[in-house]
Amino acid sequence: MNKQHHTLVYYLTNTVDMININNLNFGYSKHRPLFKNMSMRLSNGHIYGLLGKNGAGKSTLLKNLAGLVYAQSGTLDVMGYDPAKRQPALLEQICFIPEEFYLPSVKIDAYIKANAPFYKNFDHNYFTDLIKELDIPVEQKLINMSYGQKKKVIIAFGLATQAKLVIMDEPTNGLDIPSKAQFRKIMASAMTDERCIIISTHQVRDLDNLIDTVIMLDENDIALKATVEGITAKLTFKKVKEIDDSIIYAEPSLSGYNAVMPNYHHEESKLDMELLFNAILAEKIKFKPLFS
Amino acid sequence: MNNTFNINRFGLLLKRQWLDFGKIYLISLVVLLGIVVGFYGYNIPSPLKDNNFDYDGNLDMRFRYPLFLILGFVFISIVASSYFNILGQKSRAILELMTPASTFEKFVAGVTYTAIISLFSYLLIFYLTDLAFVKYLNSHLNAFNHPGIRQAESITKEVFNDEGYRKYCSYFFAFPFLVTSIFLLGSIYFNRFHYIKTALSLMIFIGLASYLVVKFSMWIMEGKVPYHHNYRNDDKDWILLALLLITSIITIIIWAITYIRLKEKEV
Repeated sequence: MNKQHHTLVYYLTNTVDMININNLNFGYSKHRPLFKNMSMRLSNGHIYGLLGKNGAGKSTLLKNLAGLVYAQSGTLDVMGYDPAKRQPALLEQICFIPEEFYLPSVKIDAYIKANAPFYKNFDHNYFTDLIKELDIPVEQKLINMSYGQKKKVIIAFGLATQAKLVIMDEPTNGLDIPSKAQFRKIMASAMTDERCIIISTHQVRDLDNLIDTVIMLDENDIALKATVEGITAKLTFKKVKEIDDSIIYAEPSLSGYNAVMPNYHHEESKLDMELLFNAILAEKIKFKPLFS
Repeated sequence: MNNTFNINRFGLLLKRQWLDFGKIYLISLVVLLGIVVGFYGYNIPSPLKDNNFDYDGNLDMRFRYPLFLILGFVFISIVASSYFNILGQKSRAILELMTPASTFEKFVAGVTYTAIISLFSYLLIFYLTDLAFVKYLNSHLNAFNHPGIRQAESITKEVFNDEGYRKYCSYFFAFPFLVTSIFLLGSIYFNRFHYIKTALSLMIFIGLASYLVVKFSMWIMEGKVPYHHNYRNDDKDWILLALLLITSIITIIIWAITYIRLKEKEV
């Protein structure tokens, strides 16, 4: 899909497939594939939560999207570009927050002076506001900051670039409890119709009320891709005293069981992401017809 | 938007790279200056020493040539070997590769820093230090109490005033670029211990190539006798010209491989 086509579709529908993955095959070695014929479309105006077990390929999928690793076969289209080509026009529209990162031995001002000019939409006022909101000491050299403070700097910088695709790999790792709440608030306010945000995490509770679509990776493919609304329309999450046949999956709790069951009666319930995650991994076959 | 090369973006990239690379580079220049000054201070002719003159009766400044060549090799190879080493560290490589500049711009920035700026700064530091010591020496000639003592010449004057030196310098022009290109490739090819691994690979390659050339020459020459009837001195120039061409071509090939490696670099 070319760039003009993207623009046309966006103006007509206000939504567009920002990312189009077709039959992606990837593995760090030929004998151990990580993704087998994976296909998926992600569009603007969404915050996607990427979940999966250790080694399921969450970070690798994000790296594929950013062009940091190359697929063995299949096609990847990000905003009309092939990320593997690492073209500046695409790179300035991607904000990638990696789990591990390095910041140079300079103060924030010098860092901004050297890096911000690469992003023509960089919003200096917004960056200053974020730095204040996140309580980052501006006089300190970046290298002397704690891991959490560095992470906040890199998140603030990434969001201030006004990039359309925001990719975050375990963004809440290393953040203290107040910072996690601030992070959720900032991310919610950073969401616009033009943006697509993908957040990979193990700490699903950190993303509560933030993400609108869940993507779950398992066994070389996508085990689930559904909106939160879609999930709660089809499933209900309840505390029950006893287990019966209608329950697809349950975990013991202090007052009985936390259970997942089909939502036959259109009941309203709050998505328990941790429970859903465990349920999908344990009862994949039972869930498949519901979300196919 | 030009996704291959944009001069403004390239300028920004040079500035950005300086933020990280510049400090270490400046420190290494100070160390370089210290080493050159130290060697000059120790080896320069002095009235307190006995052997101050060479075979021609000039003040003995011959130590400058091996110092210039060996130190030059070490300095430019270390600088080249450290440029892309950040790509061997996952935490740094991601931010480097995600910087909105083209792979070609990132490569040219690497060549600019390692082949042009490092070489130029080395020559400048060596030239200035040499000039300062030569000036100092010439202003204290009386202290040697040696009748007919001639003034020492700076290394640049000595080289450029001599036709033989000039000729050799021009034929070996591509050598420093070849050295930087090899070590720049090593910095992106290896993930750790770039310098040692590149130097070791180079030694093995040179050893193997020399062995094969000798064996091949022996095989070609076997059973033949030397024939010098049409020997001309100009033949040596052809060999030197071939050397210049071969080193230039190899340098360009190695730079091309480095560019491809950078393009294919994964984190």
